[in-house]
Amino acid sequence: MSVLRPQDQLPGLNAATILLVGKEDALLQQLADSMLKEDCASSLKVHLAHSLPLPSDVNRPRIDLIVFVINLHSKYSLQNVEESLRHVDTTFFLGKVGFLVTGAGRDSHCSVHRNTVLKLARAYRSPLLFCDLEVEGFRVSMAQRLVRMLQVCAGHVPGVSALSLLSLLRSSESPCLEDL
Amino acid sequence: MEPQPEEPGAAERGGSAENPIPLLLRLRAQTKQQLLEYKSMLDANEEKTPEEIIPEKQIENKIEDLENEIEKVKIAFEMKKLALDSELMDNMNHILKLNKIIMKLQQESWDLEEKLLDIKKKRFELKRASESKFLEIQTEKNKQNDDLANMENSDKMKTLQQKLQKEIQITTVIQHVFQNLILGSKVNWAEDSAFKETVLQLEKNLTMI
Repeated sequence: MSVLRPQDQLPGLNAATILLVGKEDALLQQLADSMLKEDCASSLKVHLAHSLPLPSDVNRPRIDLIVFVINLHSKYSLQNVEESLRHVDTTFFLGKVGFLVTGAGRDSHCSVHRNTVLKLARAYRSPLLFCDLEVEGFRVSMAQRLVRMLQVCAGHVPGVSALSLLSLLRSSESPCLEDL
Repeated sequence: MEPQPEEPGAAERGGSAENPIPLLLRLRAQTKQQLLEYKSMLDANEEKTPEEIIPEKQIENKIEDLENEIEKVKIAFEMKKLALDSELMDNMNHILKLNKIIMKLQQESWDLEEKLLDIKKKRFELKRASESKFLEIQTEKNKQNDDLANMENSDKMKTLQQKLQKEIQITTVIQHVFQNLILGSKVNWAEDSAFKETVLQLEKNLTMI
């Protein structure tokens, strides 16, 4: 099936899988390495992909969290993510999808406006994270956050579900932006 | 829109080695949570989704209403948890106080037991000391008795005794001689009191002294 569904497979014991979707291979690889270096009680798996849909012939474990990586420096990255979003089942958006925006530090290179990504995240009601993936320190802290989110989405944290995490991460929406 | 090939970027990391019992407890909590999530998904799917096409603005409003409901339910749950927690906290404080008292009393009883043990030890030592002293006294007494017996058996005593016997014999012979002298002279010795006393004194048996 070309559409990714969260309950396609049964969860593996003590296993959590995250899927990073984005065009920037080097950044994704670095982020994946930082995440794997983190101390985590469950066994982590990081899958990287350019875009969805994923080839269906690969034997793949149940994906617990999808993070779409958008680079503000290239419009192509945004387009790619928007197209891939169509191949994700709606039930995924109940807390198992997140957007990660990189490159917001250098404002002169940004060809995509911040508001565009904000609207996208609000439309899909998913958490939006900002991080400059090229800086080592930010990358490590973002990796820690992602590992924690992944644990919650995989159901490894008792008492916290993906949906409750979603309502926790929801930032208060300022009224002036709504009018824009 | 052909499916793009997946990057060769699948990487994994195994979990660290862990004791079996905490590991099992953790896995149990995990499986419970996952089961809860699946159950809630099933319950959610049982609700009928509206089939007709609704304008986007209305959908947004509906979504916001649902989100607010979720928030309200969460807040009510947290309040309930807090209320329960306060009773829980009271119980726990009570338990802590009792535990402190118990520990204090246990400490006191331990101190008393230690004192008792000390006194018993001292008593035992005193008993031992008295026993040894008693033994010493006995040995001293025995030694004295032995010394006395030894002295009696020594040669000096023998010679002295022999001399004494000889003297007694000589004096007895002299007594007999005087007696026979006086009797042989046929003098009336009973008239003079001094003479009578002397004769009677000669009769005294010297070995009886």
